[in-house]
Amino acid sequence: MAEPELHTARLTLRLPKIEDFDAYAQMQADAEAVRFIGGVQSRSEAWRKFLQMPGAWVIQGFAMFSVIEKSSGEWLGQLGPWRPEGWPGPEIGWAFRRSAWGKGFATEAGIAAMNWTFANLGWDEVIHSIDPDNHASQALAQRLGSRLRGSGRLPHPYDDTPIDIWGQTREEWQSRQVHASTESSA
Amino acid sequence: MNAPKPVQRDAACVQGGPATPRLETPRLLLRPLQLDDFDAWAELSADAETMRFLGGVQPRSVAWRSFLFVAGGWSLQGFAPFSVIEKASGRWIGRVGPLCPEGWPGTEIGWTIARHVWGRGYASEAAEAATDWAFRTLGWTEIIHCIHADHAASQAVARKLGSSPLRTTRMPPPFEDEVVGIWVQSSEEWFARHKAATT
Repeated sequence: MAEPELHTARLTLRLPKIEDFDAYAQMQADAEAVRFIGGVQSRSEAWRKFLQMPGAWVIQGFAMFSVIEKSSGEWLGQLGPWRPEGWPGPEIGWAFRRSAWGKGFATEAGIAAMNWTFANLGWDEVIHSIDPDNHASQALAQRLGSRLRGSGRLPHPYDDTPIDIWGQTREEWQSRQVHASTESSA
Repeated sequence: MNAPKPVQRDAACVQGGPATPRLETPRLLLRPLQLDDFDAWAELSADAETMRFLGGVQPRSVAWRSFLFVAGGWSLQGFAPFSVIEKASGRWIGRVGPLCPEGWPGTEIGWTIARHVWGRGYASEAAEAATDWAFRTLGWTEIIHCIHADHAASQAVARKLGSSPLRTTRMPPPFEDEVVGIWVQSSEEWFARHKAATT
């Protein structure tokens, strides 16, 4: 399969490249940006995390996309399908630099990635593992149409972190997308 | 917003990827990781004796992250430790080869072999092939090996490969509690002893 690349009004979603690393490392060094996703990482630790996404693209055939702002070419964050060993389900996950917050970028990227995931990976549902105090991510999950399913558990080394599982089925997603496209074309 | 600055990494550590080389030795095949290597990888990562000088055992979920990290190196850097396959059995028996993660003290050739095949010279056989590849194909001018002071078996492999102990150093996070010996060898030293290309 050719490398997927998704386009929205303002964003390109593509596979990670090595030149994304500086922006990624900056995000991992920002305590506020990574408060609910493992905390601050030094640059050398961030590197080990950074390579996991391109690794998963090769090994599993999917992983989070790098989200690039078309107008500036800047790396804003990463979002997409993610299912590492021991994970509680097929996740659509995300992490964005703080400078990209509050502009609807994650929702815009999320819609594109949900469509791609359901069309290409054969998943019957998606989940989002979200810290109970992470209100911004909860709001994003809701905007994508997911609902709180209850508390869950992540594998080691995240097994001490309280986590809520949000999610929706493929049918729920597709029925709303049909409805939305009907509305927008009316 | 500021545009991200260029990646400040030594050119030796970013070759551009992806790469899918295959190296053969008399008894071994070296190639990049595949998904079905993971069970054997996780078993090795859970073995206390094997992992004693490598940061300790990793549960399966953590071993998976390390596995993806190595696969990502093949994809973005154009090199990473190879999966080592025993030709006679087809079994995955370890990971051996080049690595240069962010903050690392140099361009390393590393080796980790599953305990059930220790004592057969597989680490040396694989490391020789990987070293030759790193010098000839990656164009590295020096290799290092980061080896714990008490890890006699690994020191023996380094010595057999032709490398010499140089100094000790502290490793970058998350290994900052580890002080290791740095063994080193230049490409000139290697080529003086291995004149003909082995391809």
